[in-house]
Amino acid sequence: MKRDEVLHNLKAAYARLWVRIKGGNREPEWLAAEVVMPVITLSAYIFLYKMVNAPSEYAGFVIIGGTMMAFWSNVLWNMSAQFYWEKEIGNLEVYLVAPISRMAILLGMALGGFVNTALRASAVFIAGILIFQVPMVLHEPLTAFLIFFLTIGALYALGMMFASLFMLYGREAWHTANLLQEPIQFLSGTYFPTTSQVVPQLVQLLSSLIPLTFGLDGIRRVAILGQGITDVWLHIIALAIFILVLLPLARLALRYMENLGKKEGRLTLRWQ
Amino acid sequence: MAITAVLRTIKQAVWIGWKVETNWADPLVFAIYYLIRPIAGLLIVGFIFLIGSFVSGIVDPGLFAFLFIGNNFFIYVTQIMIMMSMLIHEDRAHYEVLKHIYLTPGSLQWYIVGRALNGVMNASVSLVLTLGLGVLIFQFGMGIPIPLNWLGIDLGLLAVGLLVGIVCFMAIGFILCGINIMTSKVQFMLPEYIGGILYLFGGVVFLPELLPWWGQHFSNALPITYFLRIMRFSFLHNTGFDVHVNLVYLAATTVITVIVGLAFFRVAMFKARRDGLIDKKEEY
Repeated sequence: MKRDEVLHNLKAAYARLWVRIKGGNREPEWLAAEVVMPVITLSAYIFLYKMVNAPSEYAGFVIIGGTMMAFWSNVLWNMSAQFYWEKEIGNLEVYLVAPISRMAILLGMALGGFVNTALRASAVFIAGILIFQVPMVLHEPLTAFLIFFLTIGALYALGMMFASLFMLYGREAWHTANLLQEPIQFLSGTYFPTTSQVVPQLVQLLSSLIPLTFGLDGIRRVAILGQGITDVWLHIIALAIFILVLLPLARLALRYMENLGKKEGRLTLRWQ
Repeated sequence: MAITAVLRTIKQAVWIGWKVETNWADPLVFAIYYLIRPIAGLLIVGFIFLIGSFVSGIVDPGLFAFLFIGNNFFIYVTQIMIMMSMLIHEDRAHYEVLKHIYLTPGSLQWYIVGRALNGVMNASVSLVLTLGLGVLIFQFGMGIPIPLNWLGIDLGLLAVGLLVGIVCFMAIGFILCGINIMTSKVQFMLPEYIGGILYLFGGVVFLPELLPWWGQHFSNALPITYFLRIMRFSFLHNTGFDVHVNLVYLAATTVITVIVGLAFFRVAMFKARRDGLIDKKEEY
């Protein structure tokens, strides 16, 4: 790729990022609700742990899970499903005729979405930790951040791959995004550790196919249980592999689905 | 409006709701879709319970039955609210048919009731399947002796409680419709937010006695609390439970919710017509 082409695509990514950040924060009065309501939802699971007298670090597991879930929701609805919205609105055809890579558009969406979600998720995290007095034993903050950013990278790469599906399909894609909420929350162990011996091996096997599982477990080990990089290096390698595999796959899938859409005339089809 | 016309409107609304909900997939895919989400929801709370109990060293099957019934019957709240919250947005902005429905001699309110009943149908199917699969997974798969006597269910109480509860959730849905007709961006958040509040304060998966005092007072003012108590009693026949008092509370809170819901919807429709919001477009 030539230098001009790279710059051109970076500008496109920045433009899409700017729209995402501007659009996401246009109504600051909603920010309070966007922080308070997730804490309320998480509280139910924390009270459930309290009901069965589980140790207090389990409340921390829930809060970290809920915080990371905000990013997964963002990937699903504001990145993957975004191509469905863009198609319905009429923007998708504009993206397709523009002399830029689809990956640049998705990169802009990903970065913009990350900034918006990070603002809300950190507020949810802090509020949850303070309200429920969760004990944190964080000895290696850099390790926690490394796992966090690798997880985000893997999740957004997965989102880019899903975006190709959403480019073609209508309500099927919408329902698929719905379907990827609770089942992913269960399999990735958003609210409980999947490494517990109570969790069947089949579930553990399936959960290892999801990057979020490694991210959640790694961050919990470092931030709540006080472990270090020597305990979570396998998590780091797994997340790096996810990124290295998913990004090229996303590029291939986008190209394939776009060509298929052109052949079948479905790229501008609305009200499916 | 004659009763036959009302019934016809409801019937057509249920039919169109069924088509919109199902015709994107073949029946098998649709059935799997409607089963996977509630089952995954049950698995989440079930495993939280199991893992929490495992580390604390005590597994109480009675508490598991409490959350099992509560979480499963909460499906009605989720389905009805999602259906009614998305309805105005989809019909107005996406499919652009709300103005036509509004102009017909039939009432928009009865159309909404019909679409909500479609949500009730879907929730009922999900409930039966989730109850069955839940027992298979947790009782036979994970070995928790759930103290449910399937032959001893108080069907009369279950039916009355369900009927009143569904009317109440539909009334909350009318409030959501009213908010959505006046706004254009909150249709996705509303059911999640209201559902989250009801899930926490309704004592769906944990005993409301664990809430702080103000939370317990709030819980006592919510119809969902009494609805779930009655559902649980129908299955578990827990001792020390006053059915009549809880039924009266459920009926009273439902009447208040219905009055508030319908009044709110009427005011919202009046404002929407005055401000030209009924055919508002959102760049679809």
